[in-house]
Amino acid sequence: MTRDIWKHLILVIGAIIVLAPFYMMLSYSFKSPGEIDRGTGGFFGRQEMMVDERCVQLRDPNRDEIAAAAPQYPGKSDREIRDAIMEEAAVACAMRPVVFNYTKAFIEAPLLRYLLNGVIVTVSIFVIQVLVALPAAYALAKLKFWGREAVFGLVLFCLLIPVHAIALPLYIILAKVGLTNTYAALVVPWTISVFGIFLMRQFFMTVPDDLIDAARMDGMTEFAIVWRVMLPTAVPALLAFAIFSIVAHWNDYFWPRIVVTGSRDLFTPPLGLREFKGDADGSFFGPMMATATIIVTPLIVAFLVAQRRFIEGITLTGMK
Amino acid sequence: MAGLSIRSITKRFGDTEVLRGVTLDVADAEFVSLVGPSGCGKSTLLRIIAGLEDPTSGEIEIGASIVTGTRAADRNLSMVFQSYALYPHLTVAENIAVPLRMRSLSAAQRLPFVGPFLPGAKEQRTEIASAVQNAAEMLEIGALLDRKPGQLSGGQRQRVALGRALVREPAAFLLDEPLSNLDAKLRVQTRAEIAQLHRRLNATFIYVTHDQVEAMTMSDRIAVMMGGEILQCDAPSVIYEDPNDIRVAEFIGSPKINILPVELGHSEMTLFGLVLARVAEASKAGVYHLGLRPEALKLTQAEPMITGTVAHLENLGSEVYAQVALADQTARVTLRATPAERHSLRLGAQVSMSFDLQDALIFDVDGTRQRRVEVALSNEREVA
Repeated sequence: MTRDIWKHLILVIGAIIVLAPFYMMLSYSFKSPGEIDRGTGGFFGRQEMMVDERCVQLRDPNRDEIAAAAPQYPGKSDREIRDAIMEEAAVACAMRPVVFNYTKAFIEAPLLRYLLNGVIVTVSIFVIQVLVALPAAYALAKLKFWGREAVFGLVLFCLLIPVHAIALPLYIILAKVGLTNTYAALVVPWTISVFGIFLMRQFFMTVPDDLIDAARMDGMTEFAIVWRVMLPTAVPALLAFAIFSIVAHWNDYFWPRIVVTGSRDLFTPPLGLREFKGDADGSFFGPMMATATIIVTPLIVAFLVAQRRFIEGITLTGMK
Repeated sequence: MAGLSIRSITKRFGDTEVLRGVTLDVADAEFVSLVGPSGCGKSTLLRIIAGLEDPTSGEIEIGASIVTGTRAADRNLSMVFQSYALYPHLTVAENIAVPLRMRSLSAAQRLPFVGPFLPGAKEQRTEIASAVQNAAEMLEIGALLDRKPGQLSGGQRQRVALGRALVREPAAFLLDEPLSNLDAKLRVQTRAEIAQLHRRLNATFIYVTHDQVEAMTMSDRIAVMMGGEILQCDAPSVIYEDPNDIRVAEFIGSPKINILPVELGHSEMTLFGLVLARVAEASKAGVYHLGLRPEALKLTQAEPMITGTVAHLENLGSEVYAQVALADQTARVTLRATPAERHSLRLGAQVSMSFDLQDALIFDVDGTRQRRVEVALSNEREVA
């Protein structure tokens, strides 16, 4: 009984450590800048009306605008007219902090565009990775050819190469080919996933040889076997790989930051966070955390939906 | 449907020679069993026939054409695997349809979504569906067509595997121990069904098994394999009654044949010092093996040839098997007795047995059958 308590205590501490950043992120995305700075307001913040300073400043009328507005304020001096306009602006720019943070996230940064880019990039990467990894894994697991072990050794070796070590050569190659600032630059370097080949190969090793022989007897070519027999039986493993691949490339900040230098049209969601990075006028933590929340939500939802099969795939059990 | 001929097939895996020059002719519509202990090369031979494995040397001929080097898919053979090897993601109907779909539909017609709407696809698909229906009815699995293999029992999966094999008309059926994953009762039932199926389809069957009962009950001919060679290929009754080799005699028949050492002198044959028979024309003198089936031994009171004490009894109801430890010998013999004789068989009881020399098989020390010696023995008996 006491052992159980200890077990749970340790698990709870672990959970707190893992969840704390998410808690902060979500909480900040609700709060006003003042509350964030002072660390007050609890989880949701007090949600008092706040005035968006920048919004008000943008409405600060110049001489022409004051002149244009003069008929609405008869008998008032320019100064009084300006004050009146500024007062109206303050009312118009007042909003709840949560609305402020999330509208900022979508308006200040074209977040929808970034999310779309994220989907295009991660899905293309995953699809091409599967197109490459499945036949390769099948060959490594089930076909006998000269040098197979050596090739598999190379695959294992490639698993050891850190991405950052080859980032520069890759960048230079892409630059020379003239592919920087394109979707191709975001996708192509990741299309051959040695991890995917390795994972699928390990899974294919567990598929009985008889099944493949039966497919051959039934008149399938080797490619037909890969797509019609191995792919459907490998769905749990593929799901596991999908999560690894999609999480890695959806969240990747490093590579898009390197190859996308000009156009914001190619920004992926993590690059969207930069929009609120503090420059001279301080950081916008509220909108930044709202953006972060929006970015991680699709992943969390996808994981919850696929959770059961994902764990099945990682443990690679339940298949015979 | 076609006959098959296998010509001096050898197969090596590295340094080990798995098949050493196997030659076998299988006639059209014949049921041939390849039987032998595990590791004798029978499954390898079947896989070579199927085209799943390449022989190191030798030729395979199906119908009138040599298929060595042809892909498995192009040999027009069907195979049933020990593990059934059903596609786990397809329903029973789809599983059975696969060989037809792969052969009669073009690559474009097999495409998902688009395929069914291509010209000609509809007719082909109805044809396939009716062929699947026929096969399912023949095997009485019509009710299971929408299930996945995971929802089926072992016996049902076995039928689906058979259905997938017979849905098209292959040149021959290859079966690799298809019954070994079934329980004993189902195995007996399915055995009969496969034999009936063979008669109904009138097709060539090559059946690999390590179970001699399966081989005996189903086959037209049995090829007994050991150590990468076919020792003998004959009808079941010939294999049982007239084996060429002591290994064949020992492998076929349950309980195992009794082997006793006999000595052949210049003029007589002795068993444990007892003169069994006189030999007119002396063969090579020396030690020989005398093979006696359990049913060849008879309980007797007068002139016993061998005596011993009952060491173990197995009563199967219709018959009784007694293991008898021979007096002054380490060997045991197995005796088959009728239930009527059971009263004289108790553990530890003394029994005397005799046998007819005509039922005895004689092998030399290398295990080769010595028919000349047997003939000499029987000639002598007639003279006497």
